[in-house]
Amino acid sequence: MNAFLITVDKISAGIGKTFGWTIIILTLGASYEVIVSSGPVRAITGSLPTTWGYDFSYIMYGTLLLMTGAYTLSRNGHVRGDFLYRNWRPRFQAGMDLTIYIVGFLPAILALIYAGYQFAVYSWQFKEKSIFSPAGVPVYTLKTLIPIAATLMLVQGIAEMIRCVICLKTGAWPQRLADIEELETAILHEQQRLQEIEAKK
Amino acid sequence: MDTAEIGILMLAIFVASIFLGFPIAFTLLALGFGFGYALKGDIIFNQVIIKAYEITTNDVLVAVPLFLFMGYIVERANILDRLFHSLQIAARNVPGSLAVATLITCSLFATATGIVGAVVTLMGLLAFPAMLRVGYDQKLASGVICAGGCLGILIPPSVLLILYAALAGISAVRLYAGAFIPGFMLAGLYVVYVISRVVLNPSLAPKLPKSETEVPLGQILYELLTSFFPLAMLILLVLGAIMFGWATPSEAAAVGALGAMVLAAGYGSLNFQRLREAVYLTARTTAMVCWLFIGSSTFASVLGDYGGDQLIAGFFKGLDLSPWQFMLVSQVIIFLLGWPLEWTEILIIFVPIFLPLLKIYNIDPMLFGIMVALNIQTAFLSPPVAMACFYLKGVAGKQVTINTIFAGAMPFMYMIFFAMLLLYIFPGLATWLPSYLYDVR
Repeated sequence: MNAFLITVDKISAGIGKTFGWTIIILTLGASYEVIVSSGPVRAITGSLPTTWGYDFSYIMYGTLLLMTGAYTLSRNGHVRGDFLYRNWRPRFQAGMDLTIYIVGFLPAILALIYAGYQFAVYSWQFKEKSIFSPAGVPVYTLKTLIPIAATLMLVQGIAEMIRCVICLKTGAWPQRLADIEELETAILHEQQRLQEIEAKK
Repeated sequence: MDTAEIGILMLAIFVASIFLGFPIAFTLLALGFGFGYALKGDIIFNQVIIKAYEITTNDVLVAVPLFLFMGYIVERANILDRLFHSLQIAARNVPGSLAVATLITCSLFATATGIVGAVVTLMGLLAFPAMLRVGYDQKLASGVICAGGCLGILIPPSVLLILYAALAGISAVRLYAGAFIPGFMLAGLYVVYVISRVVLNPSLAPKLPKSETEVPLGQILYELLTSFFPLAMLILLVLGAIMFGWATPSEAAAVGALGAMVLAAGYGSLNFQRLREAVYLTARTTAMVCWLFIGSSTFASVLGDYGGDQLIAGFFKGLDLSPWQFMLVSQVIIFLLGWPLEWTEILIIFVPIFLPLLKIYNIDPMLFGIMVALNIQTAFLSPPVAMACFYLKGVAGKQVTINTIFAGAMPFMYMIFFAMLLLYIFPGLATWLPSYLYDVR
């Protein structure tokens, strides 16, 4: 079972991390737009603002947010109102999570897949182009990502539900893969580790 | 039950479900789908997907991952210790020089990164021991670090303000221009407060030993030139590009992120490992914020279909509040929400409930947004949650108690309230600059 969980985590993280790099493409593309459309550069080179810049930036941003959703779920990174939750015993946490995964998360994500699929199919039927620019940037690809992202979310959600079941059985949350932490979290962990070493001496 | 009452029931179920600790983005999405389906059947699928697609293509929110990325890069550029050192020797003759240098370092770094936790922990490791070593008052030392670290929430280019602009449907450019003066006013208040405390009671902040303050002017200039100015220039470049209309906020954010990479490379601290960390953290934070946005806009649109928002508006109308009373009530609610919730949740879920009411009371949504940005800082400083204080405690270890840190942060929280009061009495502090820059005279 654990091997399955780790595999799902790895798939979500792999896809999320790969698509995370779109931030670099977005940075470079939007910077290019600023540079070619700025006054001095235009005066010298006669460059014009791009016809694709606007569409490009939201497509990159949209791709980023959609394709990293499941990765974030695999890291337990979606924000919770956890002021009560964090004080509960793991078993109680798992039971509550599992219930809401079944009655809330599953139907919502299935509905999102269904709706997103129809939305994308409709857009594919006429190879929808962006209405914002004359460059004819296709948007049906971005729309297709919505049901794909929701499907990834579903798979990761199933893994999370299995985690809940394991926790209900054993009374402890199964270990997650190690990953990069926020700087403050990393520093705090390091400090705790040092203090523990101090205490042992 | 009529539909509006069902809308209120939906809101009540949501508020109750927050307590259950499930990731809120999905709770909102589920309630939106469920109640929406009950009201209008299959149409809801279309409605939700259109809302989700709106968030996915929102040209204001494009700036969010870019500013986050810029922040994560600056955070990893190994600039903080140089920055602090240069400001510390530059401020050596100012009373409470270390505290003042800490405040300025914090505000600059927090402005560039926008991440409260990182600033506070890094400064807690760097400036806090430095201040205690020369005998600074523990409360003063903790207060400046916690309060300074929160300034990035208000001072543009703040991510909170971008999110607020997207929620309120107002211009992010005007909002940035509006937050400019209040942001520096608050930082200025902090500096004035620290200096006056130290002048009145020099024992709070003993002077540094002579050996540390006798630095040749040339060296001070050189250090400022290699640490303070590059970062300040980067921020000014981004802000200038936005405020003078050279670039949209998202384009300016992209230039800022590129500039941050150049800056980090200049300090020899841009390697693949750090870049990768920044990319992955950006991905996760973006997904967290934007999925919450998708959930909340779905929820809000269905709540609107039920007329729940009308009922809330009617309720407030019935209370017959004057504008200042409404402002007070709404800000107190936001302040109290800071106890159980994180700022993203307060902003993306609860602030939109107040937004339609602003028209009734004739309150400028820009002014309200800046008030919210001021207010949310207090959530990081006020017990029992006080994230900033706990970050500091986490790195400061046993040398200081959490209550000392709370006590140290308290005066700064009062100053935030004072700044809110000033802003309410003199709204020109927020409205003058945007109208000077953008309104046709």
